[in-house]
Amino acid sequence: MQKNVLELSGVCKKFGAFTAVDDMSFVIPRGSVHGFLGPNGAGKTTTIRMILDILRPDSGTINILGAPAAIGVRHRIGYLPEEKGLYKKMKVWAIISYFATLKGMDRRTAKRRAFELLDTYGLLDFAQAPVESLSKGMGQKVQVLSAVAHAPELVILDEPFSGLDPVNQAVLEQLINDMAANGQTVIFSTHVMQHAERLCDRMLLIAKGRKLFDGTLDEARSLIPRRVLVECQGDLSAVLHDRGILGASELPREGDAPLEQNQHQQHDQKLWEVRIDEGVNPQMILQRCFDNGISLTRFDYTQPTLHDVFVQLVGEGATEGAPERATEGVMESGTKSPTEQQTP
Amino acid sequence: MRMILLIAAREYAENIKTKGFWVGILLFPLLMLGIIFFQATLADSAPARRYILVDQSGVYEQSVESAIRQEHQRRILQEFVRYLIQYRRESTGAQLTESSARVDNFIDQVEADEVSALDQWLANGGLDYALQLAAPTLRENAPPFMPPREQFVQTQLPPGIDPSADPAQIVEQMRPWLTGQQDLPEGGKLFALIVVPHDVDNDIIRPGPLSPAPTPPELIGRGVQYWGANLTDTRLSSAIDRSINSTMRSNEFADRGIDRQVVRDIERTRLQVSRLDPARAAGDESVSLADTLQQWAPVGFVYLMFISLMQSVQYLLSNTIEEKSNRIIEVLLASVTPLELMMGKLAGIGMSGITTILAWILSFIAFINFYPGAQTEFLQQALVVMMSSELVPWFVFYYLAGYALYSGIFLAIGSLCNTLKEAQGLMMPMMMILMAPLVTMTFIARDPNGEVARIMSWIPMFTPFTMMNRAAAQPPMVDVIGTAIVLLLSIVLVLWLCGKIFRQGVLRTGQPPRLVEILQMLRHRH
Repeated sequence: MQKNVLELSGVCKKFGAFTAVDDMSFVIPRGSVHGFLGPNGAGKTTTIRMILDILRPDSGTINILGAPAAIGVRHRIGYLPEEKGLYKKMKVWAIISYFATLKGMDRRTAKRRAFELLDTYGLLDFAQAPVESLSKGMGQKVQVLSAVAHAPELVILDEPFSGLDPVNQAVLEQLINDMAANGQTVIFSTHVMQHAERLCDRMLLIAKGRKLFDGTLDEARSLIPRRVLVECQGDLSAVLHDRGILGASELPREGDAPLEQNQHQQHDQKLWEVRIDEGVNPQMILQRCFDNGISLTRFDYTQPTLHDVFVQLVGEGATEGAPERATEGVMESGTKSPTEQQTP
Repeated sequence: MRMILLIAAREYAENIKTKGFWVGILLFPLLMLGIIFFQATLADSAPARRYILVDQSGVYEQSVESAIRQEHQRRILQEFVRYLIQYRRESTGAQLTESSARVDNFIDQVEADEVSALDQWLANGGLDYALQLAAPTLRENAPPFMPPREQFVQTQLPPGIDPSADPAQIVEQMRPWLTGQQDLPEGGKLFALIVVPHDVDNDIIRPGPLSPAPTPPELIGRGVQYWGANLTDTRLSSAIDRSINSTMRSNEFADRGIDRQVVRDIERTRLQVSRLDPARAAGDESVSLADTLQQWAPVGFVYLMFISLMQSVQYLLSNTIEEKSNRIIEVLLASVTPLELMMGKLAGIGMSGITTILAWILSFIAFINFYPGAQTEFLQQALVVMMSSELVPWFVFYYLAGYALYSGIFLAIGSLCNTLKEAQGLMMPMMMILMAPLVTMTFIARDPNGEVARIMSWIPMFTPFTMMNRAAAQPPMVDVIGTAIVLLLSIVLVLWLCGKIFRQGVLRTGQPPRLVEILQMLRHRH
């Protein structure tokens, strides 16, 4: 059994003049849950389609479950595409069972498995209903079940959470955890960082068709400097010359981060963001302020969130590349850029 | 292969669950039943049509009356013969058509003065007597014979209208009845008013050196006037036309001193034209009804092929568009190759097309067996000819080939469009191509080995239809084998190219591509 379920090296894909995926290389080890993060139009779906051999890369190689193309090992892969849809007239159990048989299960096992899954995830009452009578969220759950009914070694879910209410998102998280516990490898793409933070062992961050980061959550967090928020009267410059302090900047008074809301009752209060080095203890700043007689009204030290990492990295990437494809709308779900949808 | 079968099985199972499929299956037998019952009941239930004949000349009334009576007798006797044949223990459609012609002949030979004799015979129970004679040869469950009702009944002018008035005045006075505003005194509407003016003989058109026009303009509205609002039912007007002209001619013969009997004898002489088929063995060359049917049977097959193909490709198109707009296609493509998907769809929907055809044939056979009648006997003969002929294997081959060719193209069109509306534009040229064999169908049946037929046979798009059309006429071997090879090669080519378009088209969203883009897709190496 191979150690890595997936290996990409130097994969490129162009649509006309537009480079959707540029020199993508990464490996995904067996087991655990992997997040595939990136803004809209980053090339997530194109990469996934190439992994599944729905599209062919222009150059580079893909090794999936030990095979050069997914078509040879397709029975061991489960796939939920980004845009969801099912045959409207088919019964719920029949559609799950049909996709399972397409993945090589025999009919009887597939049917039994469909009912098992529907029972486990609370949809048994709808087993005999036609798909068109389901709500959108339920239909999406059915589609997830139909993608994984054949218990594949590798499960690839493209934006599985979009369009689900919080309760059903929790059900889906449970399903992903169940599969991970079962030894299946799960890759899912998302642009909602909370899901990635909660579920992923490792993550891959891409933007503009390039890989920005590949590693664990902790590694991701360490990518950006830790920061301390300090609110005080007057100037903070006295404490900023110490070793280990990378820099400080004054934040706008009515910032858009929720932390700062309603904090500035007094007019001369200033809010500073202090970036500190990896090995520095944030307590040191507190000590320096005390030594210099600066009275603090707020001292706030938090771990950087994945959200911060994402914004930071994607923001950098965006300024490097073509300026017209800025990061605006990064965190919004919904519409994708036409270039990624249109796959000639 | 397993994938193709799985997809085909699903397509088939889903297709036969749709309403459209059952409508398609049931429509054909229902239509057939409808036509036959409608015809029968319509003929029986048509009310007697009342007409008024005002003959101011006094010469023609008698002959019109006897012509209409003769028409009625013809119908009674024809019905009677039909009845006898239908309920005889053993009978065939061929006998029916032949005997029907014989009745026609017999009636035509009845002299005007004999018409009343036949009338009397009918009135005095002549038919009952004939029925008694025929009874032993009839089936036990035969229903009693019902002679048809009279179609045309003469009636009198309503009181107060002077039959000797000027024709224009009579017509003016009759207008409320002619337009249907007023009912006749004895009830019912007036169907037609025929006025023969007293000086009608002055309007007789005689051949002259300078009269090329059949009706000189100054004579329009003169001569015998036939007034009737119903323009489609010409039976009465033509009966009147025939009888008045024949009487007028007899009178002319008499005026010129020619013996009427001599003329009649001469008119009845005739020479038989035997239709013979050179392809048949000596002594068996005469062309029967079955032979004619066989010659025309390919047209039936072409029709069947056309209807079934239309149904299948339409379904294929809408089905592909559904999968595409639902984005199911992507899941499918993660499980099967585009070629497997395409082949599975073609096979599944092809199977449902074949199911439809089989259902039609079965319902046709069931219909013929459960509803014995004169019309169905004819149909049965047609069916026997069609099924027993060597045309069936031809049909199977050309049907499958035509399906493979056209379905591939329609599948590719479906893969490029997100809605049926978008597909309309791309479908138009295909529809035009599909119409061509249908339009030329009867023409090719008449001249199956002519130049047009041969040229069309070599165009792959038309080959299945045209060659089916020609199948009964022993087309040259070059055509049969050559076109089959070209056809099979084109199918491979078309399916290969459509597979390319399909593969790229199904993942596409947005507007359907322009022609240039389609060509680029064809050049694409995957």
